[in-house]
Amino acid sequence: MTMASSSRSRTLDPANLDPLQRWLARAVEADRVEITRADLLSGGAVQENWRIDASIHGGSRAGQNALVLRTDAIARLPMSLDRPREFACIKAAHSAGVLVAEPIAECADKTVIGAPFTVQRLLSGTAQGRRITRDPKLGEFGPALAREIGAQLARIHTIRPPHEALAFLTRPEPDAVAAAVAEMRGALDKATEPRPALECVLSWLLAHKPAPRPVSLVHGDFRTGNYLVDGGRLTGILDWEFCHWGDPREDLGWFCARCWRFGNDALAAGGIATRADLLDGYNSVSDAPIAESELAFWEILGAARWAAIALLQGQRFLTGGERSLELALTGLMPAEMEFDALEAITALEAGRPIA
Amino acid sequence: MTARRIDADALLDLATEMLRADVLPALPPEQRYAGAMIANALEVARRALAEEVEAAEWTLLDSLYEEGEGSTAQLARDIRSGTLPEGKARGLADDLRTLLIAELRVRNPRFLASRGISG
Repeated sequence: MTMASSSRSRTLDPANLDPLQRWLARAVEADRVEITRADLLSGGAVQENWRIDASIHGGSRAGQNALVLRTDAIARLPMSLDRPREFACIKAAHSAGVLVAEPIAECADKTVIGAPFTVQRLLSGTAQGRRITRDPKLGEFGPALAREIGAQLARIHTIRPPHEALAFLTRPEPDAVAAAVAEMRGALDKATEPRPALECVLSWLLAHKPAPRPVSLVHGDFRTGNYLVDGGRLTGILDWEFCHWGDPREDLGWFCARCWRFGNDALAAGGIATRADLLDGYNSVSDAPIAESELAFWEILGAARWAAIALLQGQRFLTGGERSLELALTGLMPAEMEFDALEAITALEAGRPIA
Repeated sequence: MTARRIDADALLDLATEMLRADVLPALPPEQRYAGAMIANALEVARRALAEEVEAAEWTLLDSLYEEGEGSTAQLARDIRSGTLPEGKARGLADDLRTLLIAELRVRNPRFLASRGISG
């Protein structure tokens, strides 16, 4: 059995899989389950992900099953949903026809592997932004991939409140932009480093907010790096822990924000295609079409949001006592997003398209 | 004769060069990200020794407030409350851009290059 090395403490013990095997057999209504592989997958500063190969005997899932087991990790971001809530969002998305790893079972009992966890079907492909945006065949598959991603996002946005299974999500704010700006100002107030440029961007956002759209489920971290691609095709949308009720354009703006293009700056839709490609797919599914001219505002809001998050990450190092070089380096990043946001605002004010 | 000493800049320069050329390629894959972060941090530190972000800050603050009276915290408050005098608020975006460029010369010159601004 191969084990990826990590300094993080783990929950699941590959040498003691019996409790998990017994629990899984009950959860999928099988006679018996034999786990033949349990590997800690890379990535996931927020959560722990294990690949589990299970031989299922009896029941509707009989046969070889490649699964992903996810736990809540120690370092959960304050904004993020816990595992059971994230799983409820994934189930709602799956029911709405969104391409997502099939949700199979969840376990709240800490005694099985040491922490609550969920089980989903394993999807093939890579989520690594750099690998996707540097694929030599991107020119061939990029536009179609972006259209598919747009279509999937529109399906996510068909989920609207009230929604019984998602009743735990905070009531939607009537003014999503004012709420987002208030939250970012809260981050600035917590920080020990004043950021006049970010203040400037936030004031601009408040002064230029568009008319609201009907509230929908917003993925909250919908970007390159959070979907899987296999052979140029989309296999699934990942990382649902930032789901909330909000303006659907927030997801589109985050996807296209200049900070999430992984070096492919000219391809505004996540470094893989044009905004038009993404919106083509989106508007082919959505009953509330969105125009390209609407995106600039939400891309600027996305840049500001990432700046505020990076600032708070830096504070965890600076004043929170977390001696992490990654947090310290992230804390240096707000200047980048502020720069892009100010450039975009200057372009808009001059009547030019944004980068 | 002028004294020549081995200074912080030379040490950080050589240490980073060795790290990148000799150590990083030999690291096992799961340690490479940590290695790259260390190299990155050393490079930021080296540039921070040479650059004067504070000078750019004071130039901006002295153009807005009585000389020596302003602070970035004050400027941040004034922007949020919209209390900068009209004449001074007009060129603010350009001034903040200049300040960010000074910051980014230390923090991430490659980012500036990607935005068409040379180091």
